[in-house]
Amino acid sequence: MGEVIVITSGKGGVGKTTTTANLGTGLALLDKKVVLIDADIGLRNLDLVMGLENRIVYDLVNVVEGACRIKQALIKDKRFEGLYLLPAAQTRDKNAVSPEQMVKLCDDLKDEFDYIIVDCPAGIEQGFKNAIAGADRAIVITTPEVSAVRDADRVIGILEANEIKKPMLLINRVRPDMVKKGDMMSIEDIIDILAIDLIGVVPDDENIIISTNRGEPAVAEGKSLAGQAYQNITKRLMGEEVPLIDLAGNDGFLSKMKKLFGFKSA
Amino acid sequence: MDNDTKGISFKGTAEGLVILIPNEMETDLVMSQIAEKVKAAEKFFRGAKLNVIYRGKKLSEKEEKQLVKIMVDNSGVTVEGIRHELAAKPVEKKRPANISGIPIRKIFFKELEEGPCKFVRGTVRSGTRILYEGNVVVIGDANPGSEIVASGNIVIFGALRGMVHAGADGNREAFIAALKLAPTQLRIGDIITRCPDTSEEIEFLPEIATVKDGIIYVEPL
Repeated sequence: MGEVIVITSGKGGVGKTTTTANLGTGLALLDKKVVLIDADIGLRNLDLVMGLENRIVYDLVNVVEGACRIKQALIKDKRFEGLYLLPAAQTRDKNAVSPEQMVKLCDDLKDEFDYIIVDCPAGIEQGFKNAIAGADRAIVITTPEVSAVRDADRVIGILEANEIKKPMLLINRVRPDMVKKGDMMSIEDIIDILAIDLIGVVPDDENIIISTNRGEPAVAEGKSLAGQAYQNITKRLMGEEVPLIDLAGNDGFLSKMKKLFGFKSA
Repeated sequence: MDNDTKGISFKGTAEGLVILIPNEMETDLVMSQIAEKVKAAEKFFRGAKLNVIYRGKKLSEKEEKQLVKIMVDNSGVTVEGIRHELAAKPVEKKRPANISGIPIRKIFFKELEEGPCKFVRGTVRSGTRILYEGNVVVIGDANPGSEIVASGNIVIFGALRGMVHAGADGNREAFIAALKLAPTQLRIGDIITRCPDTSEEIEFLPEIATVKDGIIYVEPL
């Protein structure tokens, strides 16, 4: 029996799609059967980030409307064994799907897959409601900005109200140098406000932009810092205890990064 | 007849019958239209006793008498009095509920500590609004973007970073207490204040906000 995990944030542009792609790829690399669902109907992106755009025939809306079978719409990622994508429709809107249909879809996929990862659209309207409808767990993404943290707080409240208990927090695009200077919210500040468990911290890394544009998730080559961070998060998602980034381990992590930045400038 | 829109109109009020007469209307036309209207509603007027108040065009005493006679003759109503009124009396405005949407009261229970009380467990997150007639106690934080409105006192057993309104029905004797008081805005009764902009991190230091001489004071507990 698989598990449905929704990746959400409230605010746009904080890295939901990138995280979905990387966690999905990471899980597939650890020999799990994974399907990624792009719930951002009308603004589909996940296929681009995964580099699978030109292979779309059927989409999510076709499936729920019964125009095709689930199997027909799933795109198999040939690079990673066990990784599939269910793309969103681009020519429809969020109202083309209802929460009940999403629940059924997720339930059907649970028999086949170990993990179903849903990429949630920004906002808290219909698309968001659809995306969280079938979810067992949630990962809330935020960046160290007050606006993103505020939206994350709102989203956590809604998730809790919808019986998705214990959402996990992923802090994206942290810049340790700025945090040190006091120009950026620290991880502690964010956890203090949001008061939920941290699943990981991803540093701001230009490799992410490169890999996103190429359609190759950074987690796969694992050389970049962000790629490594996603590898660790993937392991934590599977219940493994990977040391780092908790309040105590924070220093080690930061100094490691600092060293790296130091080498760069030297 | 485009007079229809600009013509005479009748309105029943608690004080009597109100007749609206357009200022520029000719007296003869006024009379004939009133006659018409009264006749049309003859059944309604017959046997009734009422005061007539008219607004708009001012009539002379003679014309007033003529108007009464028209009404009586056409319907058998008894007119007890007639007077002119300049404009519609402003509808008595209820003191608009305060900013937080709770109607203001004149009398509060003095023993605030003994009123009903709502307990909230967990973090009050952005977008959440708690509205309660009584005291509110939060076991957890109140985050920015949240609103807690209570007619009594508010106690936050955690960090207060959102907006809170104690004594929301106008009671200035209400207080707000928190383990860490860093709200976006504090309201007690009808008084609003906000935190100084300096964002120096304060350690957890329990504080209480009360009103003295119309100003909200914050003191360590």
